[in-house]
Amino acid sequence: MNNLQKTAKRKKTIKGAFVYLLMAFFLVITIYPIIWMVSGSLKSESEFYSNIWGLPKNAQWKNYLDAWNKAGMGTKYLNSILTTGMVLCLLIPVNCCAAYALARVRFKHKGLILNYLLIGIMIPAGVLAMPAFTVVNEFGLVNTRIGLVLVYAAQAIAFGMYIMRGFFISLPRSLEEAAMLDGCSRFQSFIHVILPLAIPGLVTQVIFSGLSVWNEYIRASLIIREPGLQTLPLGMVSFATMENNNYPQMFAALSMATIPMIIVYLICQKAFQKGITAGAVKG
Amino acid sequence: MRRVEKLRTNIFDRYFGYIMCLPAIVLFTLFVIYPFLKGFYISLHRWDGLGEMEFIGFKNYSFAFADSTFWKTMGNTFKYALVTPILKNILGFALAMLFVQKLKGMSLLRVCTYIPYTFSYVVVGVLWCWIFNPTFGLLNGLLRALGLEGWIHGWLSDPKVALWAIVTVDVWKCMGFHAVLFMAGLQGIPQEYYEAAAIDGASSFQQFIHITIPQLNSTIVTSMLLAITGAFVNNYDVVNVMTAGGPYHSTEVGLIYIMNTAFQQNNMGKANAMSMILVACVMVFGFLQLKAMTRDENYE
Repeated sequence: MNNLQKTAKRKKTIKGAFVYLLMAFFLVITIYPIIWMVSGSLKSESEFYSNIWGLPKNAQWKNYLDAWNKAGMGTKYLNSILTTGMVLCLLIPVNCCAAYALARVRFKHKGLILNYLLIGIMIPAGVLAMPAFTVVNEFGLVNTRIGLVLVYAAQAIAFGMYIMRGFFISLPRSLEEAAMLDGCSRFQSFIHVILPLAIPGLVTQVIFSGLSVWNEYIRASLIIREPGLQTLPLGMVSFATMENNNYPQMFAALSMATIPMIIVYLICQKAFQKGITAGAVKG
Repeated sequence: MRRVEKLRTNIFDRYFGYIMCLPAIVLFTLFVIYPFLKGFYISLHRWDGLGEMEFIGFKNYSFAFADSTFWKTMGNTFKYALVTPILKNILGFALAMLFVQKLKGMSLLRVCTYIPYTFSYVVVGVLWCWIFNPTFGLLNGLLRALGLEGWIHGWLSDPKVALWAIVTVDVWKCMGFHAVLFMAGLQGIPQEYYEAAAIDGASSFQQFIHITIPQLNSTIVTSMLLAITGAFVNNYDVVNVMTAGGPYHSTEVGLIYIMNTAFQQNNMGKANAMSMILVACVMVFGFLQLKAMTRDENYE
């Protein structure tokens, strides 16, 4: 008996050690490149090549200032914020209305409309980048923010509608019935009764669509040509391909592009993980 | 006056469903369905993007199929779109199995492995260009430190390994995301199943095979399909930033070749024809994904 307990205990210790080893491995491979990026951004150019692994000896904060000016980070940030904000302002109301009607209202051809919009899930937006560019060009919207916003919003409808619809279906029907008995119209009951309850669903959608728009590259690279309208990903690419560039500055630019995102994520990481899995797991 | 108002509300009520759906339908039609149809229309023409279009039937498709570079790029696309999801899901699954262990520091790991997923492919690509840098990159530095000189490569300049180097980058970015998906699935499995199996003398490996895997079936399918449809598109961003398709087309994926055909060779007809072929390939997986997502849906 004693012996058996001993082997069981030893087995447990070995398992524990193995698990911690795996944890350490995953932690290092995810975090080290990020730390390396930040630490590289604070090195001088000569130290960057001589001291590859270690932390900077004396931090060169000037790299950040130089990179900020050289890459026009201010403009890129503003453009990314404006583009993402405009997409969400357009997408969320449009989607909520459609999702609500398709979840709750009885009307002819409802199944047809639902299936029509769901086609969007079958076509990942990027593969249509080429034809979408041609259409935007035809409408005379190339090199405009509004052209990019319309493309983003339209191609995000299917997923967002699917998430919101699942959310509306899960709310009890008696809520609207009560509101309508009290004299609310259908639309009023949607605005005043259902929408406030759907806020968690809205947050999910804002994060899900917001993050994908914020990071989008292929469609933006086709539609936007002017440096003044470039979003952050476009700005990063043009900075990376710029002549006479130095690496610490490049790392500083990368850090400036990612650190705010990391902070936002750390503050609301629960909502992030929920928001992004909602696209795959039932909403 | 009153009657007019009443009539108006009546009409609004009667067509309420349609009115609510209308903006979505218009936007979706203009920028998803119309481009699709337009792309097909252009693919039937010879067109340089500016001048007159000339109808040539399905010739652009036969040009594409006769083009060995196109086959190569499609091959790369498929390699990328099948290997990346497999690796992402295996590592994601392993991570999720770690996450559900009740150990100190686990929430730190969960938070950290997710950070790369919030980055754009562009940022991740640029960062990894330096990790792969042959002279002062982290990877070769590590191999040198471990005495594995023989493994040192020009990771992005050697046509044999470049595509796989890029695959690694995507896997690194996304494994945390898939881990969260699988963790949600694992937490949904009732503990009693494991207890019952343990009483019946099932080993933990048997429990894994006969309880965990079957219970996670739908999560595995969704996670896999999500990764596949995504991979057909994401490869553009990473490849464009890291190698632009080189060396010798070894990392050139379908979308890169399409863009080059359109904007360097000014052959819009062929570019659109290739887009349509790519869309058709992705739609097979997209259709399966849609089916998986709406499987037990009630249409009211």
